Amino acid sequence: MPLLADLQQRVARAVVTGDGELVATTLLGGADPRQRLRIHQRHYETSLTNALRERYPATVWLAGVDLVTAAASAYVRERPPRTPCIAEYGGDFAQFLAGYGRAAALPYLRSFAELEHAVADVSIATDVPPLTWPEVANIDPERLLDLHLTLQPGLRYLHSAWGVDELMTMYLADSAPATFVLPEADTLVEIRGARGTVCMTRLDARTFAFRAALHSGRSIGAAAEIALERDETFDAGSALVQLTQAGLATRLFNASGGAIS
Amino acid sequence: MRSAVATRYAARQSLCRAGIGLRLPHLAEVAGGAPSFSWLEVHPENFLANPHAHELLLEVAQHTMLSLHTVGLSVGSAEGVDRAHLARIRSLVDEIDPFLVSGHLAWSTHRGDFLNDLLPLPYDDETLRIVAAHVREVQDALGRPYVIENPASYVGFGASTMTEVEFLGELAERTGCQLLCDVSNVFLSAANMRFDAYGYIDRFPIDAVAELHLGGFTREFESESADSEVLIDTHAGPIAEPVWDLYAHALRRFGPRPTLIEWDNDLPTLARLTAEAAHADDVAAIALQGTRPHAVAG
Repeated sequence: MPLLADLQQRVARAVVTGDGELVATTLLGGADPRQRLRIHQRHYETSLTNALRERYPATVWLAGVDLVTAAASAYVRERPPRTPCIAEYGGDFAQFLAGYGRAAALPYLRSFAELEHAVADVSIATDVPPLTWPEVANIDPERLLDLHLTLQPGLRYLHSAWGVDELMTMYLADSAPATFVLPEADTLVEIRGARGTVCMTRLDARTFAFRAALHSGRSIGAAAEIALERDETFDAGSALVQLTQAGLATRLFNASGGAIS
Repeated sequence: MRSAVATRYAARQSLCRAGIGLRLPHLAEVAGGAPSFSWLEVHPENFLANPHAHELLLEVAQHTMLSLHTVGLSVGSAEGVDRAHLARIRSLVDEIDPFLVSGHLAWSTHRGDFLNDLLPLPYDDETLRIVAAHVREVQDALGRPYVIENPASYVGFGASTMTEVEFLGELAERTGCQLLCDVSNVFLSAANMRFDAYGYIDRFPIDAVAELHLGGFTREFESESADSEVLIDTHAGPIAEPVWDLYAHALRRFGPRPTLIEWDNDLPTLARLTAEAAHADDVAAIALQGTRPHAVAG
């Protein structure tokens, strides 16, 4: 291994784990170079922990700054970023937090943090010109079932066993009461946002199943089958009309990704 | 419509005044059009993952000259430049056509992990060969010279066989890259690593200097001993008085160069940033009065 690669492997490990002994003999600077290396170690941990706290302010509000900070510190040591764009870091922090320490005793925390992540994601999205209903309706229905739809970038779908959207609405409106009983109820939420605005809407089971399946990349036919499993009265035609009239669909494409004109 | 010559002249005049680093909390205000700035520098990493901010940046680029200052290209990584990230940077460069694209003499990535810091390099032949290859790769991808900034140093390596200035000079020679002299980094690195900041400026490769940076630092003590002070490059406050003096010295040697005020933490108002940039202009006006850049020392 080249010397630089070996050195960087040891420095990287020292920065992430905080163990300066790994490179102490190679460093110069100050009375104790290990102290100087701690400046880099501290920057790594503090900057990323702060980034996570800033990304999840509602979760901090709900679970407390100490718990979220401790979980974030553990997270940055175990899962360093994989991209220089720190806004993309922490996508699975909700899952990590839910299993961390006493957070495990808060069964709603993961859903709430996932909802917050989705809210933050869609709030920085930008809308794309939507498909119109005639653009969809002009396609042969048999062919349509094999096609896929791209939905607006600022759309997310969340299924929770808790009414976390109520709590998030209170947080965003700064109107949370001193005590609140979080309803334990199957909750299906569509989160839509763009350019700083966010809207959360509860959907019925069949509409949620259809839209969430489309969002995950299923074809229109496959999404309709999933919705029919939830509710045999599901009507794919009506669902498509509602989807396009709400401006949520932006592009039709075939299984190989080709656009349908 | 202004002639191309007039437009180039106006752009040159703008770059003679200090610019400021544009951070996300100020973006909407700046995109709204007020106040006006001579030029702005942005970190592309803040915009690549934020479509709304990206959209606003394109609006800003319509009326303000921009420089891109990358923090994630990691030309010092032995394992190579992150090509996916480089492609994203290239795409943004194509969209906003910045007058400069810069980055750091440092490394940040290891085996795909991004360590979110600018980590130090040993200055020797192997590192020079590796960094030069990566700078060439970046320049080939961007189709323009890359501008490399001297780091803020807290540690060095016993294995180094050349000084930082020698390393930067050789890098510029081998790759045709330009250099960004961060005067605050020179000041704090000199204090931390015990070298002469003025001597560093005097030996800096003058022909390659494309931009200057100024930023605030924070003082810490590593122990109770008074001589254990270490200066941290926090960009969390105004420029310190001795850094203004060093900046004036740098200008007398380099001549006028686009100068940027960096302020990232405890971010003040745009008005405060503009005032700091105006002070840089005042310092430059006095420093450059009746002087000509020194000839390059042999």
